[in-house]
Amino acid sequence: MATRAPFRARRAKGEVLHDGFLRHARFRWLKVAMLVCLLSIASYMLVDVTPHHNGGSWYGYTMGTVGVLLILWLTLLGLRKRAMTPGRWSLKAWTSAHVYLGLGLIVIATLHTGFQLGWNVHTLAYALMMLVILSGIFGITVYATLPAALSNNRAEMTQGQMLDAVRAIDRQLHDAAQPLPQGQAALVRQSLEQNPFGGHLLNRLSGRYPRCATAKAQAALRHGTGTQSDTGNEPLERIDALLERKQAMLARLRRHLKLKALLEIWLYVHVPATFALLAALTAHIVSVFFYW
Amino acid sequence: MISFLIRQISLTADGREIVRAATMEKPQLILGRAAENDIALPDLALEPDHARIEQVDARTIRVRATGTLGFGLDGRTVRSAEIDVAKGAELRFGGHRITVSQGEDGAAILSIRRIDAVSEASEDKDEARVFSLRGLAPGKRLTAWAMALVILIGFLAIPIWSYANRPTGDSRDIYRVRGDKAWSSGPLSQAHHALEGRCETCHQKAFVSVRDSACQTCHKDVHDHAPATRIAMARAKPGLGGQFLNHVAATFGKPPEGACVDCHREHEGAGPMQPAPQAFCTDCHGTLKDRLKDTKLGNAADFGTSHPQFSPLVQTVPGEHPRFARMSLDARPSDDSGLKFPHDIHLSATGGVAQMARSMKTQTGFGDALACKDCHKPTADGVRFLPVNMERDCQMCHSLAFETIGGTVRRLRHGQPDQVIADLRAYYRSSGPTRPIALGGMARRRPGDYAQGQVYHAYFGAVATRPSRADEAIRAVFSKGGACYDCHTVTPPGANGNADWQVLPVHQPMRYMMNGWFDHAAHRTETCESCHAAPKSHDAKQLLLPGIDSCRTCHGGEKSAADVPSGCAMCHSYHSGDGAPWMPADRSAKRDKVVLPRNIRGE
Repeated sequence: MATRAPFRARRAKGEVLHDGFLRHARFRWLKVAMLVCLLSIASYMLVDVTPHHNGGSWYGYTMGTVGVLLILWLTLLGLRKRAMTPGRWSLKAWTSAHVYLGLGLIVIATLHTGFQLGWNVHTLAYALMMLVILSGIFGITVYATLPAALSNNRAEMTQGQMLDAVRAIDRQLHDAAQPLPQGQAALVRQSLEQNPFGGHLLNRLSGRYPRCATAKAQAALRHGTGTQSDTGNEPLERIDALLERKQAMLARLRRHLKLKALLEIWLYVHVPATFALLAALTAHIVSVFFYW
Repeated sequence: MISFLIRQISLTADGREIVRAATMEKPQLILGRAAENDIALPDLALEPDHARIEQVDARTIRVRATGTLGFGLDGRTVRSAEIDVAKGAELRFGGHRITVSQGEDGAAILSIRRIDAVSEASEDKDEARVFSLRGLAPGKRLTAWAMALVILIGFLAIPIWSYANRPTGDSRDIYRVRGDKAWSSGPLSQAHHALEGRCETCHQKAFVSVRDSACQTCHKDVHDHAPATRIAMARAKPGLGGQFLNHVAATFGKPPEGACVDCHREHEGAGPMQPAPQAFCTDCHGTLKDRLKDTKLGNAADFGTSHPQFSPLVQTVPGEHPRFARMSLDARPSDDSGLKFPHDIHLSATGGVAQMARSMKTQTGFGDALACKDCHKPTADGVRFLPVNMERDCQMCHSLAFETIGGTVRRLRHGQPDQVIADLRAYYRSSGPTRPIALGGMARRRPGDYAQGQVYHAYFGAVATRPSRADEAIRAVFSKGGACYDCHTVTPPGANGNADWQVLPVHQPMRYMMNGWFDHAAHRTETCESCHAAPKSHDAKQLLLPGIDSCRTCHGGEKSAADVPSGCAMCHSYHSGDGAPWMPADRSAKRDKVVLPRNIRGE
């Protein structure tokens, strides 16, 4: 206890240990972002730009400058996250601000466009920005919802234990299949040879594996033996039970992989789209002043 | 005795090798998955009876597959092979490797080793890798670099390259790369559509904002609104915010206020360019008098609330050398065109004129009474009205016919008093009139008999005087009660030093508002009387122009809630031309589609 007390004292006032970055400091950054959005919308309505709002008016340039500074700061999370610190300027506070100010960017950037969109580099930058934000929203959503499902599915097993369970079933299958004639042995071998981590990205994200060799092997073996009566002593009966167990284990493993993939996949959009956005933003700004 | 030495090698959990050796003193070994084989390999890739290994002679063994599956020999798949034991070989059966070598006693040694894991899952896995998306989705770093690079090349490098390598002339090469098209923030307006994709026409230098000189390469004869020094004096000093913005604009190299592009914004959509907003005018004109003390213009900040009364150009002195003056409508100025004309009598629904109009319905299309359109004809563009023309607009009632000879009607020549006098003298010189000629005015004519070209034999004034000589006839026609006198101001011979009868020339203006633009066609849906109080006017000198209050029943300032919000540009042209103020093409197109009105173009 004595050793933990100083650490607790260092925590900022009002911060609770289990607060997520979304609820950080009683939604401080949500409030800040809302205020920024309201100010932006109000000024958009009050400022009279002729003939109508566009990115090239003084108001447009102002919103554009705010937007680009915000984007650069939001990008810095990639650097900031590599150094975790507690306190007011903690990584959690930074992430919280990243999320809410990033959402506020939708309003700021849209007002900057003055709702003038077209097939050009300017709208490209806007579209990429929206892609980054939308993938971020997806990320927040899965972070908020999926970990519970992930934990339920694991049933207290670690990833290594899941893999070991499959391996154990595989070994038993291998032994049990030794007396089988070649055709049936080949079916069992297909199940053994298939990589449980194989399949395409879509298989991984959907959790559906229509080419599952284990399911196919079981179906084929049952097709051949369906009419025979159970004796309890046939190697095929043992193999059928083993394939059944393997399928159940694979289903759990695949659900686990699916949830993990969903937790990861948005970053594969969020990060590259951010860099594409920085490039498009550069082209946008240079082009505006090039043909000024 | 021929024998094989079989060495089964397996690995312990910590990686140590365990070798189990056995000698088989047989000429032929059976290899397969079945447990009773000489060499039983628990490998599902093998058939229960997979192959035979036979001694051929002291140096050679033969391996041959018994089933349908073959085996691997030094990397190739074969079904049968003879192996020189001294040279050795490597066989592959499913997940097992058998190395053939020669022992010290000449026996063939078969070293068997399992090399494949029992299953795919049993192989070594990097847990962090297989449980993540690595390898399944394209790497973040690679995608990021690729996308950024593609965008920088496509939307930055190529546009700049195409700017730098632009051909000087208009080559009309459809294959030319126009990379900077992707830079256009929106389509150009209709008028500038031809410049689409030719960015350099306006954006002449990189990083230099569009200058007036670029516009003036085509728009060579655009008037300046006023001398530059006066405009500079007239411009109101902006507030603190405005000063700051001007400072920023100047820092970034924008030209000072008053540039073409300040009003004429481009890349705002493919339609017609929008007219300049009111604010651009009222910056100066809202409080112009405060800064330009000598200006004759009143302050104008908003049509609905702050705009001076109209000052039309009215004729103060009629005649051959008329004089005009701009006078405010508040001063109720009169406009003397030199003509006598009572609108009220002509437009009255009762009385002689109406009666006559009814009687002429079939010939002329008049209604139950005369209407404005019966005498006033619009110009081709409908903007204003042609001067009233005696032959076209009056003569159907006010006939100048005085005699018929063999079916040909002879008329006094309108507008040529000399010819009238000469014609009358000729008439009396040739022969004495069998009947008195028609020289009367219109005041006492009787309805029913006045179609144009008919000689009216009632002989009103003329009968009364019964001129028997030319001079008398001439006097009658030019005097009160005569055909000329009722409409025209006539001076008799002798007055003003005239040798003969003189008729004061009539000047009918077509435009009163010389600095504003009024388009009648745009107001077709209104009746004439709603603005012009003609039915109550008994004197042609009464100026029937409506004042600003009349306009304000519909028109208000640009941002007002009036039926027709009207910016300055609706009536005024910045570039001080004679024509209509510039207006988006679609608005005028819509205007032309308005159904023809009931009271201007009636025919």
